[in-house]
Amino acid sequence: MDTNKIIELLARKMAGEATAEELKQLDELILRYPDAVYYEEILKEIWEASAGNAEDVPDPGQAYLLHQLKYHQDFPVQADHATKSAEPSENMFSLAVGMLIVLLVCFTYWNVRDKGGPEIRISVAKGMRRNFVLPDGTLVWLNSGSKLSYAADFNQKDARKVHLEGEAFFDVKHLAGRPFIVHTEKISVKVLGTAFNIQAYPEDRTSEATLLRGSIELYVNGSAKQKVILSPSEKFAFREERSRQKSNIRTKGTRNLILIDHVKPLKIGSSEYIEETSWKDNRLVFKNESLAELKPKFERWFNVKISMESPLTGTYRFTGVFTKESITEALTAMQLIKPFTFKLSAHDVIIH
Amino acid sequence: MSTSLPNLAELISHITLYNSEKAYRQLFKLLYPSLYRFCHCLLKSRELAEETANDVMITLWRNRQHLSEIQNVRVYSFVIARNLSLNVLNRGRKRDMVALEDIMIEIELDTPNPEQLLINGELKKKLENATSALPARSKLVFKLIREDGLSYKETAEILNISVKTVDAHLVTAVKKLTAILKAEFKLM
Repeated sequence: MDTNKIIELLARKMAGEATAEELKQLDELILRYPDAVYYEEILKEIWEASAGNAEDVPDPGQAYLLHQLKYHQDFPVQADHATKSAEPSENMFSLAVGMLIVLLVCFTYWNVRDKGGPEIRISVAKGMRRNFVLPDGTLVWLNSGSKLSYAADFNQKDARKVHLEGEAFFDVKHLAGRPFIVHTEKISVKVLGTAFNIQAYPEDRTSEATLLRGSIELYVNGSAKQKVILSPSEKFAFREERSRQKSNIRTKGTRNLILIDHVKPLKIGSSEYIEETSWKDNRLVFKNESLAELKPKFERWFNVKISMESPLTGTYRFTGVFTKESITEALTAMQLIKPFTFKLSAHDVIIH
Repeated sequence: MSTSLPNLAELISHITLYNSEKAYRQLFKLLYPSLYRFCHCLLKSRELAEETANDVMITLWRNRQHLSEIQNVRVYSFVIARNLSLNVLNRGRKRDMVALEDIMIEIELDTPNPEQLLINGELKKKLENATSALPARSKLVFKLIREDGLSYKETAEILNISVKTVDAHLVTAVKKLTAILKAEFKLM
């Protein structure tokens, strides 16, 4: 019955769990049954009433003092003192979300590979995304299943060099005369002060760099003389094997392809997205991509392993945006578009 | 209430990284009121609820080295609160264990500002009566989502039920409320 549906949708709306589709459906239903407006009014009131309903909850400030007294042995007097120097100011604090990386293993160790100096390595597990600040003030967003490393004395050197495996978005702090260089397995990018995204997962055939502002200079490793300069909103892609796609430039003799393209904002629904960089705002955006192409993206994003049983499903194409959906929610939504079934067990997804 | 509290993830990272007591104090202020309320509705005693909420917080502090490995510390703290509260209720009882279902939960519909016209004393009574017959889990779901603004997923984790069940519980609770409104205002 429609009334029941209205109540159901209202409940979800109040809980903040209604999807855009459900909200639209609710609006339509309310148009048809204007009485439902009262339900919404009163429910809203009931809902909001709880926010100010704090009179009988003990004051947390006071509660904390008592708490500290009760468990005084757990709070060494020196604790805050000793860390004062290490603790950034409140302002820096908000930038330093990335400290969270401890969680994801951040350790310094002696690395033999690079001149033997100490190196900092940050890696983000699959299914997570993190941002943090480098010692020079550069902001970095690291995507799922990516690793970034740099020398411990990174900020003392003339050239700021980092190594990347995976995908990251850099908002580089401009420092005159001190270029910022990102090395990946196949391509390298040199900049002064810009914001750009670089995607170079070892398991992907394509390495990409997308520039949002400023300018960057990049080259394919091994042919450093052949430089490509990107202007804002341009995208550079380097593909290892021969493919049938058109290319503007072709590196001579090899079977590698270089593509330079404009980045067009993607319109999905009523919003515009930049596909290449929206991951850093926790959005997984894709346009007209086949399930086979989406597979590695999904595996990283949701931290799952996907296996497809029939090659046909791999050719299904999808356009969409996911934010906080779980893998089940995402695949369920995709089932509405193309017929397939899937089975989820722990970290494995089987698509039929 | 709305003083700009830094977000949970930042606090946790500071607690884990720097043993920062300052960050812990902020975390305490952020979580304690919700935890207290949650414990209070399970334990029905101010003292017990205060004690349990304190125990939850100190558990977080003592585990601070591993806190950043936890995906959702808010949910984690609620789960600890749930377990500790059940422990308190089971303390001294040898035989029958108390489960969440056995606890009487009350939904209060207090309106803080007196100028609210729609929900007057009588209607409020009726609404509260209507909801009192709901199963305990429905009421808990309603409370957690409404009072603490938790998501379906978080609520599901805390109460150890599925997201679908959370939705069903919430819809049931809201239906009960609207049934009263329907009779009261002669709506469709």
